[in-house]
Amino acid sequence: MKIKSHPMASAEMDMTPMMDVTFQLIAFFMMVTNFEQTQADERVRLAADALAKPPEVKLAHELVINIGYRRNKEGNKVDDQPFVFVPGEELRIPEFRNRLKQEAQLYQVKAVKLEDVTVVIRADADVPAGQVQEFIQMSQEAKFEKFALKAKQTAD
Amino acid sequence: MKFKQQDPANLQQQTTPMIDVTFQLLTFFMMTLKISSPEGDFNINMPPAGAGAAAVDQLFPDIKVRLIANANGGLANLRLGERSLGNDALCFQRLNDEILQLIGQPGAARVKELEVEIDADYNLHFENVVKTIGACSGRLAKDGKTVIRYLEKIKFAQPRKNPDV
Repeated sequence: MKIKSHPMASAEMDMTPMMDVTFQLIAFFMMVTNFEQTQADERVRLAADALAKPPEVKLAHELVINIGYRRNKEGNKVDDQPFVFVPGEELRIPEFRNRLKQEAQLYQVKAVKLEDVTVVIRADADVPAGQVQEFIQMSQEAKFEKFALKAKQTAD
Repeated sequence: MKFKQQDPANLQQQTTPMIDVTFQLLTFFMMTLKISSPEGDFNINMPPAGAGAAAVDQLFPDIKVRLIANANGGLANLRLGERSLGNDALCFQRLNDEILQLIGQPGAARVKELEVEIDADYNLHFENVVKTIGACSGRLAKDGKTVIRYLEKIKFAQPRKNPDV
């Protein structure tokens, strides 16, 4: 007996809607991803203020300084004294004096005037104000003049 | 001449590699996404002591804001001149109101000459200084976006280690 073979129905799924959604997701993630290399250290817990607005114009020359505490996984301080976090290093604030002088020399070698350089201080909310002031004084000794204090933007 | 007709079902483009790459891209963006809250700046211009600008006679005296710390580094008292504004959650709002009363009209030419000196105890938590700078700098307009500037010149007094000095 001859059996008539039927053509096989296509088993392929229609992938078009899934691809549409996937491309939309990719577009979303591309838009919200920040590719800029920020020098922010995640260990620093910034103070918050409603008036802290992101700068409208990017600073021409900025020296970002992160001052914070060593913390454990729960977020509690491990050490009472704050550190200046530099990539691969943790220095006490007075130990950073020579580094500031080196940074100043580096700008001068690059023919950048120090009055055009802004020292951006990202200090932890719990750091003693006096230590931040001492850091500013150290920076002034190294001939830096402009400072910006970073704060987290709040909604209210 | 007879052309062999291809089955239209076989003409479909192979989409599997594209889907593979797309999912890899999606995974990459999902893994590298870092959600961080926006950060803002408070600008402070502090030329080194003894610089020429410091010698210029001031037309208006500095507005002095004193921040007194307790033993834990919290705020014990906020003072504007000799007036105590307390240390509760609304003290910075009170400071903001007082500054507005002092300057009268924000943005006036006279106001641009005014300078605030923040005198904080050494062990005071830095967040109180940031809030003080915020309160002296201005306030947000009703739209929640526009900043109404009060005082732009902000400086620090010498850090004092002993709160009683």
